[in-house]
Amino acid sequence: MSATKRVQQWATLSRMWYLFDAQWQDPFRSAQTLALYLTGQNKPIYHPLNDCGDHVVVINSKEVALRGDEWKKRVYFHHTGYPKGASWTLAWQLHEKDPTMVMRKAIFKAMASNLIRRTNMERLHIFPGSEIPEEIKGNISGQIRPVMPVPKRLTGYSKEEIDNFPKVFDYPNDYILR
Amino acid sequence: MLITRVVCNRATKPDNFWKRRRVFKLTAHYYGRKRNCYSIAIKYLHRALAYVRKSRQLKKRDAIELWQQRISAGCRELGSSYEVLVRGMARCQIALDKKTLANLAIWEPRTFSSH
Amino acid sequence: MSNSHLFLQSGFIRTPLQNGLGRYIPQLQRITLKFCKNQGGSRGVRDFIESDLMDFAKNNPGTVVYLKPRRHRSPCMVAEYLNGEREYLSCHEFSRDEVHKWLSYMCTRSGIPVMRFRKYQHTDYPSIQGVWNPFTHQAPEINLAQYPNDILSKPANQGPTATEQLIEIFKKTQIKDPIKPEH
Repeated sequence: MSATKRVQQWATLSRMWYLFDAQWQDPFRSAQTLALYLTGQNKPIYHPLNDCGDHVVVINSKEVALRGDEWKKRVYFHHTGYPKGASWTLAWQLHEKDPTMVMRKAIFKAMASNLIRRTNMERLHIFPGSEIPEEIKGNISGQIRPVMPVPKRLTGYSKEEIDNFPKVFDYPNDYILR
Repeated sequence: MLITRVVCNRATKPDNFWKRRRVFKLTAHYYGRKRNCYSIAIKYLHRALAYVRKSRQLKKRDAIELWQQRISAGCRELGSSYEVLVRGMARCQIALDKKTLANLAIWEPRTFSSH
Repeated sequence: MSNSHLFLQSGFIRTPLQNGLGRYIPQLQRITLKFCKNQGGSRGVRDFIESDLMDFAKNNPGTVVYLKPRRHRSPCMVAEYLNGEREYLSCHEFSRDEVHKWLSYMCTRSGIPVMRFRKYQHTDYPSIQGVWNPFTHQAPEINLAQYPNDILSKPANQGPTATEQLIEIFKKTQIKDPIKPEH
């Protein structure tokens, strides 16, 4: 194999590192996308036996947004294996204990159940905040677009923008119409 | 004379040998007694042949699934989707099959992106 | 224990050293015909030797032909190829034409063992535009991007929101220059 071909082969099978910002994202919808990247199904060279999954770095997993009242209704089940070892944890409780766990479990569930699932999960790096360790940050070569738009907070608008926003009428200062 | 007859009756039929040989040829790569004992070998062989029959269809289905995954991966990268591509090609009367499209996505990526 | 030798080997189609691209080198180096002078099983081989063998040897000067008579044994032919492979074929009760047919088969083979082909075509240059890689369809700006990137932090194919559309409509309805009269 010539040197050119060898380099082409390295390029084809190169492992990418993608960044994903989980700020106000539905973990279950974004898990569908992230699972594709982790298993390598985002590449046309995909084959079930081909080890071509990418690394995904998820930041701001603390800020994930569940739909409706799912924080109160979603239950995570765990069994220690011993009698009476079953435990049920609500999503908000789990999120308080480990802010990466909701995202991690969502992605684990989104991947097909097979022997390479746990190997692919090893390529997932989740950070609760927006800080990434330097050795991981240096590797990042792409970013996955979020699945839903991040709305802008009122505090994010400047004074000028708020004043110029078209209004049908002015509210009184104390919001009471007389 | 009498003894010869008894021996003849007890001896296995000549055809039986060849019948078994046919089976053992197919079970030669098995492990343990299912390779050498006929009554065990035939059971495993029947099971294996049933699997072979099933997997003739499965092989085709797997190939189609793989091509679809590859094409949709190529499309997603270009901001499109598999359904859009297929419908667009049908509308333009381009009769390329899934195998060719998947090959194009890998080997001739610029041709694929022009679709 | 490995049983891989029990089944047909699989592989990819190839030619030895691009044979036939420039000139053709016959791959069959030596063929040995073994036969018996008396028994009926060798009759076809004997007929072939009597009538056709000289023509065959003249037409294939690159091939050495050996004849080996041996008493009361079944006839066979052994072909040896340039790549060191050796092919054995029993010619028991072959007719003269059959011997001729098998001999020409041995003569035209490349010597690579018979195998199941994984693919029925082969090319040394599978790709003209270059094989796909993760950077093929990437925009060149990505190379200089800092992460997290503001542009990439927005969902793709996102049209204007209802609020943005309303603001646009509002701007259109505004009178551009109220001081200047229309005519």
